[in-house]
Amino acid sequence: MASFRCAALYFVADPFWIVGALVAPTAFALVTYQILVIAGKPDGALVIVGALVMSMWAQALYGSGWATYQDRTLATLEPILGSPVGYVWVVSGRVLWNVVSGVLGAVIVYAILAFTQGVGLSSTQFEALVAIFPILVVSLAATGLLISAGFVFTRYATFYQNMGEVALYVVTGTMFSVALLPVWLLPFSLIFPPTWAVDALRYAVVAGYVGLSWGFVGDIFGAAVLTAVYLSAASWLFTKVEVHVVSRGDITAA
Amino acid sequence: MCREAISLQLDRPDPESHRPPQLRETLLESARVAPRTSLGLMRPPFIAGMIFILPLTQMAFFADVVRLGGGGSVLVAYVALGNAVASVAFVSILSVSLTTDMEKQWGTVDYILATPANRLALYLGRGAVPIVVSLASVAMALVYGVAFFGVDFPESAILPTAVSLGLLSVALVGVGFMAAGLSLYLRTSVILTNLVLFGSLALCGVDFPVGTLPEPLRLISAALPLTWGVAAVRAAFGGVAISTLALDWLYLVVCGLAFYLVALTLWQIFERGVLRSGQTGRY
Repeated sequence: MASFRCAALYFVADPFWIVGALVAPTAFALVTYQILVIAGKPDGALVIVGALVMSMWAQALYGSGWATYQDRTLATLEPILGSPVGYVWVVSGRVLWNVVSGVLGAVIVYAILAFTQGVGLSSTQFEALVAIFPILVVSLAATGLLISAGFVFTRYATFYQNMGEVALYVVTGTMFSVALLPVWLLPFSLIFPPTWAVDALRYAVVAGYVGLSWGFVGDIFGAAVLTAVYLSAASWLFTKVEVHVVSRGDITAA
Repeated sequence: MCREAISLQLDRPDPESHRPPQLRETLLESARVAPRTSLGLMRPPFIAGMIFILPLTQMAFFADVVRLGGGGSVLVAYVALGNAVASVAFVSILSVSLTTDMEKQWGTVDYILATPANRLALYLGRGAVPIVVSLASVAMALVYGVAFFGVDFPESAILPTAVSLGLLSVALVGVGFMAAGLSLYLRTSVILTNLVLFGSLALCGVDFPVGTLPEPLRLISAALPLTWGVAAVRAAFGGVAISTLALDWLYLVVCGLAFYLVALTLWQIFERGVLRSGQTGRY
């Protein structure tokens, strides 16, 4: 909680950095809306949900990649690893805050679409979104946490974060159902908890949505199980990483 | 030779070694050294990622958006080609624009500002390898376009496409050079660079025609090199005559030169500011 609070306070004191992380998802969402207009099927709710998920994804990656990179650059990684608090808790708080702050991207897209196109969410859609939101947050945070365990070992976390961002947008079906992807890619998509959570969110918010065949309940169940697996794996991996770093005195494995 | 004579010989300044570096030398040295220093990301796995992964993921994203909207294969090919050309921007702009940020972070920007080296030559040199990488990236993207997204690449389009992309990548290094200069004043160029990079997707005719934009945005679009680069490549793929293409190339060159000119002016202004105040914009 202290890490979460600290990340929130940093954000309030200096919200500058979030802008950079939100540019790509916001632009992707607005371009998507325009493409859908040209294709003849504009759907504001779909794009707003997509913008929400992409922004939160971007921020989850930011929290796990850039923050760890900064810990290395500012030489705060060693003191944190040497402190009695597990690094997993420090990263958890950061990632959780970053995921939540990603909502800002959706708000920007919502405001632009509402102002220029007059589209938005109905109160029922909004309530459904709020109800599913915690599941989406936890599933993204769990994934970010697992990724960041690997980032502790590399000096190039930011690079991997940039390389992986759009790939994760595609693979986890942020803007469209993963059912649209090639069949061979589907198993890979389904190993990510957000894929399930996003599908559930779209089932709840987007009218007439046809996604994964097992439907809303199956999505929620899948997201919950995978999130639990990811959290356990991240906790185990962080312990291994910390033991390795402290015993070997080496944080430059890559 | 006695020890004293040797000492005198060593102490005497060599006029050749104290002359200011020539433009060509600065450019070549910068091109040779930068990939391993300020362009710290230019490592083989990273280059492979920029060439093979980035263009494919972006093309796949927007192609699937078209499919989601029920757009046909023509629209998929249109979007794929636009994103293939846009992939040239990522490396050309980002690689150059972020070098000043890195220099600031490492504390080496002070030494750069104290050297008599020509800034344009320095940054154009830094852009040399990114230009090659960006051209490889767009070449791979065109292969993806033909292989996966139904882009029809006529043989007659090869030469005009190559010319268009060559001009575009050099022009985009100018955009990166401008952002790098602004970074002397700003805390970082990351946000500006991201705005230019991803804003281009909406403004430059990458995913939909520029004509669908509101008038004020069309004016901004006309000032961006990527708009003319995308237009030239689309025209080349459409089998348009070279005389018509030449007009796109002319606009592209003019836009590129304008960015270099603005960049040089900004560098002079901000450098003077830094030397006067003794500090750059910091994190």
